[in-house]
Amino acid sequence: MKGLAAIVQHSSSRGALSALLFTLACLGFFWLNGHQPVALFREMVLGAFGDGYALSETLVKATPILFCALAVALPARLGLISVGGDGQLYFGALTGTAVILALGDLSAPVMLPLMLLGAAAGGALWGALAGALRARIEVNETISTLLLNYIAVLLVDYAVHGPWKDQSNLGWPATSPFPAGAILPTFFDTRVHLGLLLAVIAAVLLYIFASRSRWGLGLTLLRSNQRVGRGAGINYPLNVLLVMGIGGALAGLAGIAEASVIQGRLQGGLSAGYGISGFLVAWLAGQKFLLIIPLAVLMGGLQASADSLQLFAQMPSSSAVILQGILFAIVLAVGGRWRERMVP
Amino acid sequence: MPPTSSRVELRRLSKRFGTVQACAGVDLHLGAGEVVALLGENGAGKSTLMKLLYGVYPPDSGDILIDGRPVIVDSPRRARALGIGMVFQQFSLIPALSVRENLMLAYPGAPWWQGSSAGAWSRVLQRLETLAPEVHPNSKVAELAVGQRQQIELIKVLNLDASIVILDEPTSVLTPQEAERLWGMVRQLADSGHTLVFITHKMEDVMACTDRVAVMRNGQVVEECRVADTTEQALVTRMMGGSLSEDGLRIDSPRPRAHRVWMKNISATRQGEHIRGIDLKLMPGEILGIAGVSGNGQHLFADAMAGLVPLTEGELIIDGEVVVGPKMRPAIAGRLGYIPEQPAVNAVAGDLDLTINAALGRFKALALFPDWDAERKRTEELINAFNVRPPDPALAVGQLSGGNLQKLVVGRELATPRELIIACYPTMGLDAGAAQAIYQALFKQVSAGACMLWISEDLDDLLQYAHRIAVLHAGEIVGVIEAKQADRYSLGTWMTGGVSSSQSIAETAALDP
Amino acid sequence: MSDLFSPEMLSFIAAALRSSTPVLLVVLGETLTQRVGVINLGVEGQMLVGAITGFAVTLASGSPTLGLLAGMFAATLLSAVHALLSLYFGANQIASGLAVLILGAGLSAFYGIPYVGEKISGFGSMAGVPLLGPLLGQLSVSVLIALLLTPLIGVWLYTTRTGLAWRAVGESTESARAMGINPLLIQWLGVLVGGLLSGLAGAALSVDYTSNWIENISSGRGLVAVGLVIVARWNPYLALPAALLYGGSEALYLRMQTWGVGVSPYLLSTLPYVIPLSVLVVTSGRLRQRGGGMPEGLKAVFKGS
Repeated sequence: MKGLAAIVQHSSSRGALSALLFTLACLGFFWLNGHQPVALFREMVLGAFGDGYALSETLVKATPILFCALAVALPARLGLISVGGDGQLYFGALTGTAVILALGDLSAPVMLPLMLLGAAAGGALWGALAGALRARIEVNETISTLLLNYIAVLLVDYAVHGPWKDQSNLGWPATSPFPAGAILPTFFDTRVHLGLLLAVIAAVLLYIFASRSRWGLGLTLLRSNQRVGRGAGINYPLNVLLVMGIGGALAGLAGIAEASVIQGRLQGGLSAGYGISGFLVAWLAGQKFLLIIPLAVLMGGLQASADSLQLFAQMPSSSAVILQGILFAIVLAVGGRWRERMVP
Repeated sequence: MPPTSSRVELRRLSKRFGTVQACAGVDLHLGAGEVVALLGENGAGKSTLMKLLYGVYPPDSGDILIDGRPVIVDSPRRARALGIGMVFQQFSLIPALSVRENLMLAYPGAPWWQGSSAGAWSRVLQRLETLAPEVHPNSKVAELAVGQRQQIELIKVLNLDASIVILDEPTSVLTPQEAERLWGMVRQLADSGHTLVFITHKMEDVMACTDRVAVMRNGQVVEECRVADTTEQALVTRMMGGSLSEDGLRIDSPRPRAHRVWMKNISATRQGEHIRGIDLKLMPGEILGIAGVSGNGQHLFADAMAGLVPLTEGELIIDGEVVVGPKMRPAIAGRLGYIPEQPAVNAVAGDLDLTINAALGRFKALALFPDWDAERKRTEELINAFNVRPPDPALAVGQLSGGNLQKLVVGRELATPRELIIACYPTMGLDAGAAQAIYQALFKQVSAGACMLWISEDLDDLLQYAHRIAVLHAGEIVGVIEAKQADRYSLGTWMTGGVSSSQSIAETAALDP
Repeated sequence: MSDLFSPEMLSFIAAALRSSTPVLLVVLGETLTQRVGVINLGVEGQMLVGAITGFAVTLASGSPTLGLLAGMFAATLLSAVHALLSLYFGANQIASGLAVLILGAGLSAFYGIPYVGEKISGFGSMAGVPLLGPLLGQLSVSVLIALLLTPLIGVWLYTTRTGLAWRAVGESTESARAMGINPLLIQWLGVLVGGLLSGLAGAALSVDYTSNWIENISSGRGLVAVGLVIVARWNPYLALPAALLYGGSEALYLRMQTWGVGVSPYLLSTLPYVIPLSVLVVTSGRLRQRGGGMPEGLKAVFKGS
């Protein structure tokens, strides 16, 4: 163990070791389930990055993951562990849809900004709610965001089963299809949409502000030593609301983008665990905003490849969840503090 | 030659930490039923020597003999098996548990069932009854006074059948009254055949309860004699090695003038801790000491004045202007320097670098995208001015030693002339050189007209440097007195709440210029 | 007063107890885990693994008892992953718990597919028991196990020497070590016992409560339970009233549907989350004052790094 501990002192070698272990784990998992491991692993990689179509589907999955990862990484700047990506995504989709339903048939240049704003506001509200509980009365944000996830999902269920249900759907719980003005533009004849661009811009902006500005320094300071940060005149409660709110707004954008482009309407099952995948990506990236972008694409690839696993090996899509869990466990093990114990 | 009744004999014990020779070939013997004072300044090697005996560190060289037989004490567990016990300055009691539960945890023979009072366990409870009759076994340790906690620590050690007991600076956190009780307990134990080592830097401890004294300086025993055969003066001279330079630093009380700082009727609350109706005025160039037993609101008071805790009532007024008050943003930037207790935790962000930590004092004045090159230059200037080692602006502050970290904090807080300085134990745990530098920086500002609030549990410090001393008990000021007229005993009475507050207010008014 | 013992009231109380049971078991287990200074959010995933294992074994063997035991075993194994990551590898406890949550959710969904739609017969009715028959008839074996475990764990934790050692470890591993206790061993045990009880909870859910398996059957009960541990102030005796917050709200929302209240069942179904969260919010004031009983060792985890 000591030798290993010495090897993984550097973050790049930790990354390499994690990748190696994860590959071995994938092979082992396929083998355990009676498949030819190397062949299936190859299918998995091809299913994610093999051709233009695969890549585009990977980017489609990567978009909400990227948004949700940012919604985790920004609060993490303040030492908060938010797992509320999914709830914020759902609630943002809900408020974004409310805007669409209220405005009806408008042209895209008017509708899209308002719809995105509505979704961002909803996600921000859902995030800031957990933030307010944390800042005001020290309710642990991890627990509150996890519970708020369930509530938001049920609220969307309520809306699509109840007041917003399109009766012409013959019992299928969903709103009417969104008007053409409320569909985000897509690129190159694929499902890759404007959301991806917005998410990348958000990641770059967050990098600039969180890493370079006085505000970002204030967040770092509050995380390192809240008392000292407050002593320097930085407002802790306000910043908790801000990071949870901004993070929530980003996850809310992911929600409305999924509803608008992927579903074309609001219905249940908006998120294929994007919140938790985002959490994982943020953690893999060490909460670094720029590193989140490529890792979100890789995670999108893992999710997209679940389809090809289903196709080639009849493995259920939950295999992607298991692999994410294994990946997370590996990264936590490799990156844990055991090294300090081994190499004093 | 040591007497034949020697229980413990240390022969040529040496221990080196890095470049510091903590113990250099120390010889010491402890007789049965004897109390030996180990006297010396901070860093003289007293604690290290005793930790060698207790098995905390292995000695580099030398031998330990118990009852004439050489032994190897390679762990505290072994030490305990040999009948050696040690009460540390840092208590290891668990505050959330009761006294009985704490004793139970530390006693291997304790029964399975807490309600049981069988056999040896009943003797443990009896010992508690005898030695600390006013402590109820079901009280939470968190609710006990410091002196009582120390008694429980001592009982824990005795429960393990220790016949050789080491007390590490046991009176440093006690009020004079509590110290007196402890001296009594020490004599009681010696009379029942225990051998005790009393580590201290206070002369009164030596005179009050010890039989023999060994004076340590620079890792060596420089004097060893019966207490009856020596005088305080002789011991002080041996301990200090003839250099009492700190005295020259003391600055005189300012001539009476109109006050500059007025802490007007201050009340605040934080997590169940309160301060109430504190009303104090300071003249320019005045040092006001705040004495009190830890946990009586000193740190809440300091934090409240530094604008870190909202006031429920009252105002801090500097030069006629309200700078801290209820429902307002504190307007203290640039006017107030604050050196809190435990600066490593309370004054710096340990995992961030020196540059950021040095810029903290002016955080609000930084640009949206700060010019880090300029900040680095400022930090280098500060590092040079206060001789912070190592002089690396990019180093994480947590890597600095306590003294260098304190210098950085003092340098930051006193970077520009201040109107009010709040300092909590500004030189605690520092070596003489670092302490000198910090006293100089503080007193320079005070001489130039700054007011200073000096918070300490150590009366010696306050009696030496403060002009007036106010005593805080249970969140209220119970008395204020000129330092020249103060004596330890009456301060101690105040510290334990032994005076009515009406009397103290009258006194405050009388001293108000 | 007579209303209190009316058949409707009795059946409501029984329903609340039944739906509280899985949550109560998790609250008890997580209380013990947190008492040794470790938080485990993975209980949700452990419940799922316990539920599918318990269901599968019951289906295969026909013995619900065997099912409960198998569920406990499987969840304990999964909780060992959390212990390994957080205690051996020194990973962040919250992140490690989430990893276990993801693993448990994935594994149970993956291996649970063939069992969707299967039916088992759980424990038989206890209506035949004399005297208590009318009430017991509406309860079940796992309810009684949970109700029995609550005082047992309380007595053990508060009055025995080993219980004391566990509490000491949660307050300060360093002080505990200085007193000759092996804190790492006790923390491992604390996580594993929490895993055991979460597995029992999951198996009770699928074998005894619903008698079927659906993906994500626990639907957040484990996470609600982690919140309720705080509401119960880390006190096993208060675990029952805390768990009733969930069970009561669930029973209430199911009841309200049959009463024909003019509120959407989808809105009502948020109650089992909204009510525990609200109580957590309302009671958190006391927590801020002096920690409200939070083990000292947990504070570092809760207040971030």
